[in-house]
Amino acid sequence: MTSLALKSLWARKVRAMTTAFAVVIGVAFIAGSYILSDTIFAAFDEIFSESLSGTSVVITAKNPVEQDNGEVPTISASLLQQVQKTPGVKLAAGAIFTPGGFFDSKGEKIGSKFAPKFISSTLPGKLEALKYIEGHRPRGPTEASIDKAAAEASHLELGEDIELIGQGSAKKFQLVGFTQLGSASFGGTSIAQVTLPVAQALTHKVGRFDQISVAAVDGVSPALLKRRIAAEMPSGVRVETGTESADRASEEIRDNLSFLQTFLLVFGFIAVFVGSFLIFNTFSITVAQRVTEFGMLRTLGASRRQILSTVLSEAVAIGLFGALVGIAGGFLIALLLNALLEAFGVDLPTTSLVMESRTIVVSLLVGVVVTFVSSLIPALRSTRVPPIAALNAFVPTPSRRRRLIYAGFSILLGVAGLAMAVAGLVGGGGAGTRAGLIGAGALVSVIAVSLFSPRLVPPLATVAGWPLERLRRLTGRLARENAQRNPSRTAVTAAALMIGLALVTFVTVFAAGLKSSVATVVDENFAGGLVIQNSDGFSPIPNGTATAARKVPGVESVATIRSAQAKVVGSGAGARVTAPTPNIGESLNIEWKQGGPEALRGLGDGQAILSDSFASSNGLEAGDSFRLLTQTSKRPSFEVTGVFDSKLNVLGSVLITQPVLARDFSQTQDTIDFVTTESGADAATVQAILTKGVEVAFPTAEVLNQEELKESREEQVNTLVNLFYALLALAIVISLFGIANTLALSIHERTRELGMLRAIGMSRRQVRTMIRYEAVITALIGAILGMILGVVFAALIAQPLKDEGFTLSYPIVSLVALLVLAGLAGVLAAILPARRASRLDVLESLQYE
Amino acid sequence: MSLNGQVVVATDVTRRYGVGDAAVNALAGISTAFERDRFTAIMGPSGSGKSTLMHILAGLDKPTSGTVELDGVEITALDDGELTKLRRDKLGFVFQFFNLLPVLTAEENLVLPLSIAGRKPDQAWVDQLVRTVNLEDRRTHRPSELSGGQQQRVAVARALVSKPAVVFADEPTGNLDSKSSAGVLDLLRQAVDEFGQTVIMVTHDPAAAAHADRLITLRDGELVHDASPGSADEVIELMKQID
Repeated sequence: MTSLALKSLWARKVRAMTTAFAVVIGVAFIAGSYILSDTIFAAFDEIFSESLSGTSVVITAKNPVEQDNGEVPTISASLLQQVQKTPGVKLAAGAIFTPGGFFDSKGEKIGSKFAPKFISSTLPGKLEALKYIEGHRPRGPTEASIDKAAAEASHLELGEDIELIGQGSAKKFQLVGFTQLGSASFGGTSIAQVTLPVAQALTHKVGRFDQISVAAVDGVSPALLKRRIAAEMPSGVRVETGTESADRASEEIRDNLSFLQTFLLVFGFIAVFVGSFLIFNTFSITVAQRVTEFGMLRTLGASRRQILSTVLSEAVAIGLFGALVGIAGGFLIALLLNALLEAFGVDLPTTSLVMESRTIVVSLLVGVVVTFVSSLIPALRSTRVPPIAALNAFVPTPSRRRRLIYAGFSILLGVAGLAMAVAGLVGGGGAGTRAGLIGAGALVSVIAVSLFSPRLVPPLATVAGWPLERLRRLTGRLARENAQRNPSRTAVTAAALMIGLALVTFVTVFAAGLKSSVATVVDENFAGGLVIQNSDGFSPIPNGTATAARKVPGVESVATIRSAQAKVVGSGAGARVTAPTPNIGESLNIEWKQGGPEALRGLGDGQAILSDSFASSNGLEAGDSFRLLTQTSKRPSFEVTGVFDSKLNVLGSVLITQPVLARDFSQTQDTIDFVTTESGADAATVQAILTKGVEVAFPTAEVLNQEELKESREEQVNTLVNLFYALLALAIVISLFGIANTLALSIHERTRELGMLRAIGMSRRQVRTMIRYEAVITALIGAILGMILGVVFAALIAQPLKDEGFTLSYPIVSLVALLVLAGLAGVLAAILPARRASRLDVLESLQYE
Repeated sequence: MSLNGQVVVATDVTRRYGVGDAAVNALAGISTAFERDRFTAIMGPSGSGKSTLMHILAGLDKPTSGTVELDGVEITALDDGELTKLRRDKLGFVFQFFNLLPVLTAEENLVLPLSIAGRKPDQAWVDQLVRTVNLEDRRTHRPSELSGGQQQRVAVARALVSKPAVVFADEPTGNLDSKSSAGVLDLLRQAVDEFGQTVIMVTHDPAAAAHADRLITLRDGELVHDASPGSADEVIELMKQID
C-alpha cells in the first residue's frame, strides 16, 4: 500500500508540490533562523578568540550589572606595574575598548545606525589583535586607523581626516591605517584605533584601563600566570586566561542575542502553523475528490487501515520531501534574513554559514510531524468511504449532530483560549510563563475561530461579496455563491490568511497605541523647550554637551538626566537608576503619588525617589530603605522620600542625585538634556544656534523640539513595526498559496460546470473575473476575522498596561487599508488559477467526468 | 442569410485525431446543410463521428479541413473571443448531464445566458418559457431540489431563452427515464413548431430520433443515410442495417 501511496503521489505531482511548498517555506524559515543565529554566534566566537590569540591573561573589572550601552567598569592604571612585576609575565599593557562615534570629514556617520562602534588603543607586540593590511599603526596624537570594512563602506582613503568622539567633544584624526581581525565579517561593528594616551583622553579614562592584556614567558602556562596575578589583584578585578575571557565574551553575546534566535523562530513557527492549514485543506479536498478511488480499493478488499496508511504515507512523503528542500532553502533564508536585519540597521557579524545537526533534526521533525498531524483528520475521513462509493460518488458529509459538536467544541475552545490569555495577562508567575500563556491562549483562540468559522462563512461571504455583486452582477454573484458552496473549505483557506492578518492587525493597533501614548506623555509631561539626545535615541551623549548648551544665548537653564542599570540587593530585580539635576521639575511635569517637588529639590545622599510601579513591585513606600548593587560592585543604601507616576518613563524607576551616581555607579554621561529657553527668546532661533554649536562639537548629539522628539520616538516604533511586517509577510504569502491551491482544486472539481458556462457564452475574461472575485471574497473573510481577532487581542493586552500610561488607539485608516490590501492579495492569489480556468478547453471540460 | 433558409452549412468537413499510423479519421469528409425551423437528429454507432460532427457544427471543435458556415458566418476561422460571442448570440446548448449551476435557482439558471451577456431578460418571454417547461411552481428551487427531468427541461428552456439561431442538443435524454425523456423531446419539438427554432440533436435513442423531421446517420465518419426518420421501429430497423 505504501508503494501505491507513492505512485498516486507521483500521479498528482503538481498538487503534491504545492502542499510540499507550504512545508518548504515554514521549514526553510526555521532552518534559516537557526543557521543565521548559529552563524552570528560562530562569528563572535571567531572574533573573540582571534582578538585574544596572543594574550595569555586578561585583567578586567568585574561587571555585576550589565549596562544598556554595553559599557563596562574600568580598572586603575596603577595595577599595570604590579602585573608587570609578576614573575612569568613577558609583556603586559593596558588597553581601552570603549563605545564611541565615528564621522567622516563631511560630518557623515561612519557605519550603520545601530551597530556598535569602538574606540580602542594600540597594543604592543603580539598582544595586538588587529592586523594592519594597509598603512601603519597610529603613532602620534593625531593619527588613527579604522577597520577596512568601515573604510570601504564609507569610501575612506588613507591620509583623509576622520572625527572620533568618546565622552568629550569630537576630535579630528588623520587616517594612517586600515585594519582587519580574523576572517569573520564584523557586520556593521567598527573599530577605530588610536594610541593609548589618546584613547584614554578621548574616552575620559585618563589613569584607567578597560583591560590589561598579558603575554606569558615561554614555559609558563596561562593558568599558572592567571593564579599568580590573581593573588596580587584587589577585589572587584577579574583575572582570566585568554581562552576563558573569549569564552565568557561568547557566552555573554549568546545570552544577549538568544532573543534574536527566539524572535526569528517564532515567525518560522507562525509560518509552519499557517502552512498546516494549507496542508489540511489540500488533503481534505483531495480525499473528497478520490472517494471513487477509495471505494474501488475497498471493493477490491482493502481494509480501512490500509486506506489510512495510504493517505498518511503520502503525507509523510510530502513532509519529508518538503523538509529536505526546506533545509536547503534555509541557507537562502538565512542570507535574506541577514539582509533584512541589516536593512533595519541590525548589522551583525557573520562568517561562513553554519549548519548544526540540531538544525537538521528540528527541521525534519517539524516538516514530517506537521504534515502528518495536518493530514490526520482528512486521512481518518478517507477511511469512512464505503465500498459503494466506487459506483456512485459518495460525499461523506458530517452529520448535523457532528456539526453541533464541532460548534460547541470550538466555542469551548475559544473560551479556554481567552481564559488562558487573561490568566497570562493578570496572573502571577515569571515573564516567560506569562508570555507562554498569552501565546498559547492566542493559538487556541485562533484554532477555535477556525473551527467555528464554517458557520461564519455564509454571512461573511454575503457581506464581502456585496460590493462585487453590485459591480459585476453575474460574475460577482457566482463568485460569492462558489465561496459559500463549501463553507468549511473556504473557512480553512480563509483561516490561514486570518492568522497573518490577526498578527499584522495586532502589531498595527498596538504600535498606534504606543505612538499615541508616547505623544501623550510628551504633550502632558514635557514643559516645552528643547531636548538634546543621542541621535540613535538611546546611547548617552558626551559630557560637555550640557555645559556648551548653557552658554547659548536665549537658553535659560539646562536640566540633565543621567542613568545606569542596577540590581536590587536581595531580590536581584532590575532597576533603572536615573539622576536628574534638581531643576528637572522645570522641564518635566512630574505627577507625585507620595511626597512632592520638595522631595526632588531636597534629594540628598542616601535618598531616592521611586516610580510607583517599581515601588509596588518591590513592596516599598516612602520611609522604607533598600540597597542597590551597582555596576562597580558597590552596595549603597537609599531611603525612599517620594513616589512618582511611572508613565513618565524617561525618569526610570529610581531617582538619585548625580554625585551619588558618579561616586557609586561611576556614571557621568548625560542620557538626555532638557533645555529651557528664556521667555523672550524665539525657540526656533535658539534651536538653530544650539544645533549648530552642539552638533558640530558633539556629532552624536541632536537637538530636538517637542514635535521632533515625538517624531523620533515614533520613528523608533515604526522601524520595529516595519520589521514585524516584513517577517509576517511570509505567513501571508503562504496563506495566499493556500487560496491559490484551494481555488485550483475547486476549479478542478467544477471543470464541467466551467465548460458549460463557456459553452453558453461566458467569455474567458468573465471566467477570470469570477475566479478572481472568489479569491477576493475568501481573502476578505480571512481579513475580517483576522482583524477582529487582532483588535481583540490588542485590547486585551493593552488592559494591564493602562497603569503605565498606555492607551489604545484604533488606526481606522490603516485597518481599512489593510482590508483593501487583503482583497488585492486575493486578486494576486487568483492569477494562476483564474488563468487556468479561463483556458480550459470547452469541449474537453464538457466531457470531463 | 444563407440561401434556401439553410442556417448551418458544412462543406467537406474532415477531422483527424492523432498523427502517423495511429491517426484516426473521425470524420472522413462530410458535406451537409441544415434548414431553419427544422428538427434534425444525428445517429450512428459508437465511434461513427456523430458527436464530433455536432461539436464542429457548434464551433466547440475545429475541423482538420473543410468549412462550417453558421447563420452566414464562417466559424472555423474564428478565435475564442468571436466564438464566445457567437455562442452567446446564436447558439443554444442542451447537454446529456443537466449542467445546471447548483448555486443558482431554476429561473436564474434559465436566464443564465442573458445574465452572462449582460442583457436584461424579456420577462414575458421568460414567463412563457417557464410555463412551457411546466415549472411555474419551481422557479426558486435549486437544481438539487429538482428531478432529472425537471432539470433537463430547465436546460432546454435555457437553450431557448436567447432565441438562438440553432439549438444543439447532445444526448439530451441519455440520462433520463422514458417518461422524462418524452417530456424533454416534446419540448424540443414544441420549440421547432411553436417558437420557430432550429434544433440539431445527437442521440442514440431511436425513440428520440423519431421526434425529428430529419435523420442523418453516420458510420465510420461518413454520412450513410439522410431522410425522414419515420417511426421509432423504422429507426431501429435502419440502425440494424447500418451496424
